[in-house]
Amino acid sequence: MKREDVKEFNGENGKPAYIIFKGKVYDVTESRLWKNGKHMGRHKAGGDMTDFISMAPHDEKVLDKVKYVCDIEEDIPKEDPKEKWRNLYRRYHPHPIFIHFPMGVLYFGVFMLFLFLIFKISEFERTAYYALLFGGTSVFPAVITGLMSWYINYDRTLTEIFKNKIIYSSFLILLVINAVVARVLSGNQEEGNLWFYIYAISYLLAIPVMTFVAYNGGRITWPD
Amino acid sequence: MAGLNDMNKQEKIKAIEEMIQIVLLRIPKEIEAMHFYIKAAEKSTTDEAKNLFIALAQQEKGHEAELRRILNDLKQQLMELKNG
Ligand code: HEM
Repeated sequence: MKREDVKEFNGENGKPAYIIFKGKVYDVTESRLWKNGKHMGRHKAGGDMTDFISMAPHDEKVLDKVKYVCDIEEDIPKEDPKEKWRNLYRRYHPHPIFIHFPMGVLYFGVFMLFLFLIFKISEFERTAYYALLFGGTSVFPAVITGLMSWYINYDRTLTEIFKNKIIYSSFLILLVINAVVARVLSGNQEEGNLWFYIYAISYLLAIPVMTFVAYNGGRITWPD
Repeated sequence: MAGLNDMNKQEKIKAIEEMIQIVLLRIPKEIEAMHFYIKAAEKSTTDEAKNLFIALAQQEKGHEAELRRILNDLKQQLMELKNG
């Protein structure tokens, strides 16, 4: 029998109840504990029980008590195609690597911007701008690898944390682009220039937004 | 703690969504723990240690399977609540 065929034997509506365990099919129709194909209100007949045995209050000897039907014919080994990607992701964990660039560089850049606003030394302003160019660009690999992990490890399940991350990451990208455009339009970074203020405010705002995205990342890695 | 039955629909949806997040975030942790124990079993120098780590790995596999089952149930419940 194939896995697909076993699914039919779900014990409902008088059908026989079969289960799969370690590549073998067993008939549990007669078992009191599998009435109508339901076991302890958790498991349904027709499915593969192999992975669940370690959670059961009994060991696999219980299968000696039920009728063996046949072996499973596997067309292809039952492997989740995402398994390969998950292993790669786990080995290289690209998101926690790439987030360090925007996190480090944008904080540094805003610090430079503050120094400029206080001391009016143009080197500080230039440094802040270069940090924005590099740190802002590095948001993209952070977002792309974050989305990768969401897809590979969390099946794109949209929970509150992921909504926060996606919405505020988009907002972060807009702020960064806005800051760069305003800086270009401000020409010679003179103060009193409206574009320069738009630049500075967008840059400053990017920090709490990024921090909120990162905080939500921490909630994934260290859930409470 | 209030049970699901005492809540109105909005509260139920919120409670289930929260549960989904809790269960979801746990799954990669169980997978990680399982791989850790498998690696530990491979590196074990005594049969005793090896068997222990294999048993632990199997338990983590069980946790993952159970969490996935609960997650699917919760997603199903949420869909029914939202459509019903
Ligand atoms: C759509 C965008 C994003 C998604 C879907 C996302 C998703 C994730 C996921 C799934 C994790 C858990 C760790 C992992 O699986 O590797 C995580 C962790 C994290 N993320 Fe993101 N992320 C996004 C954008 C960002 C951005 C732009 C930043 C910061 C600039 C950021 C900062 C963090 C931090 C600090 C952690 C915790 C890192 C750690 O485990 O050490 N994320 N994120």
